[in-house]
Amino acid sequence: MKESPQSKKLDEMLRSSKLAAGGFMGHDSRSVYEIIDNDLAIISESGYTKEQVAARMHEITNKAIELLGNWEEIDEKLLARVDEAKGSLVCPWPHSGRYAKRVTYVKSIETDETIQWSDLNIHFIEEHGFFEGKGAYFRIEPKELIKIIF
Amino acid sequence: MVTLLISVLIISAIAAALALLLVIAEYFFANYGECTVTINKEKKIKVEGGASLLSTLSSQKIFIPSACGGKGTCGLCKLKVLDGAGPLLPTEEPFLDKDEIKANVRMACQVKVRQDLKIEIPEELFNIKEYNCKCEEIRDLTHDMKLFRFKLVEPSEVKYIPGQYMQFQAPEYEKSKEEVYRAYSIASDPAKKDIIDFVIRLVPGGICTTYCFNYLKKGDDAKMNGPYGHFKLTDTDKEMVWIAGGSGIAPFISILYQMKNTNNQRKATFYFGANQVKELALVDEMKQFEKDLPNFKFVPVISRPEENESWDGEKGLVIDAVTRNNKDLSNAEGYLCGSPGLIDASVKTLTGLGMEEEKIFYDKFA
Repeated sequence: MKESPQSKKLDEMLRSSKLAAGGFMGHDSRSVYEIIDNDLAIISESGYTKEQVAARMHEITNKAIELLGNWEEIDEKLLARVDEAKGSLVCPWPHSGRYAKRVTYVKSIETDETIQWSDLNIHFIEEHGFFEGKGAYFRIEPKELIKIIF
Repeated sequence: MVTLLISVLIISAIAAALALLLVIAEYFFANYGECTVTINKEKKIKVEGGASLLSTLSSQKIFIPSACGGKGTCGLCKLKVLDGAGPLLPTEEPFLDKDEIKANVRMACQVKVRQDLKIEIPEELFNIKEYNCKCEEIRDLTHDMKLFRFKLVEPSEVKYIPGQYMQFQAPEYEKSKEEVYRAYSIASDPAKKDIIDFVIRLVPGGICTTYCFNYLKKGDDAKMNGPYGHFKLTDTDKEMVWIAGGSGIAPFISILYQMKNTNNQRKATFYFGANQVKELALVDEMKQFEKDLPNFKFVPVISRPEENESWDGEKGLVIDAVTRNNKDLSNAEGYLCGSPGLIDASVKTLTGLGMEEEKIFYDKFA
């Protein structure tokens, strides 16, 4: 498939370190749209939509914010905490929007499995279906995410 | 259908080529000549046109706060441009509210100096300087917090108000192809004018903290500018309640040195929240301040002590410890530093204990 100038520019932006150390694509050589298609297929096979996944992530983060940086149980299945840093991040897609530098850490009480995401991750998934490229610091494996949060 | 598609493609290609030509022409041939920037109706500076207002002012040693180094991503470099800026750009709109747009507030990194400009900036920004320094010490505080000490080289001294912050420059490195600036509260003794300490917590994937934690070495050259910010002790003798978590401890260290240096006897209780005992930082220093300042008390609050940890201090959320230990704070002042969540919860707690909201001062991580 030929790349449009817009998608080429987006790809460059996602691979650059302008917004996050190491960028959002990691060592993934696939195009951003291939990554999105593959990950959304996994989400769909699991019986969810990206909107449902993002809504659950929002719910967990919002509960964890109230814990002021501490690990606590947020329901019978999960422990969570958030860390916040100064500043905000902007989405590399061409639209307005700034997201707090907030990271949510989640741990399954039953299995001890952990996963983490930033506020920008939630936006990426909700609006763009983007879970980041393999090797990126905040890459989220859709299967792992669904296993832990639902 | 094919003819239509080919026509659209040809027109798009011509438009793209023309746009590219314009950009190239502007880069090579545009000469805006000498422009005059009038600052606060009084000061006039002659500058070469063509660069952004942010870098133009920076070249004149006038530093506007900017955490992204002029990439248009932080929204900090706002100032009023009364004349000569041209129309508002789409890259500025997300960062400006309606009142700011009405008041001619613009982002200095996005406004290009193409003609004479009239701008307004706060007077205190004229005192901001750029400092060349050397990293003198890197000290582990917790698993994800370090203290970084810098010795100033040129200028060799800095004057700041404890509570203020500096903007530290992370240069180009493996993980970032561009230099970036990030704001860190000063954590040093203001009497040592040639030293700046930062307490920095590693931000996962953060460009500047990754540089500081994994690349910056003792003896390396570094750059910072400042000081900035309005977080400081008031001149009253009111009792104080301080609340912080993580690297939010930083400005309070500098303020404690200031109190010690000036023999300030105000009553201050510092509630510091951490998840576990091993996440408590600078406890020995805090104990020493308790000895030096008889009316200062450090109250660490641990949320989830581990099973093998013996902890007989305050437990739970830091704001709950404040509530447990205070009945009426109507005559006290609050000083806060931390995440927006901590600040919001602390303001609610303190006002619930009778503190007036205008007596609560904070440095929010936003």
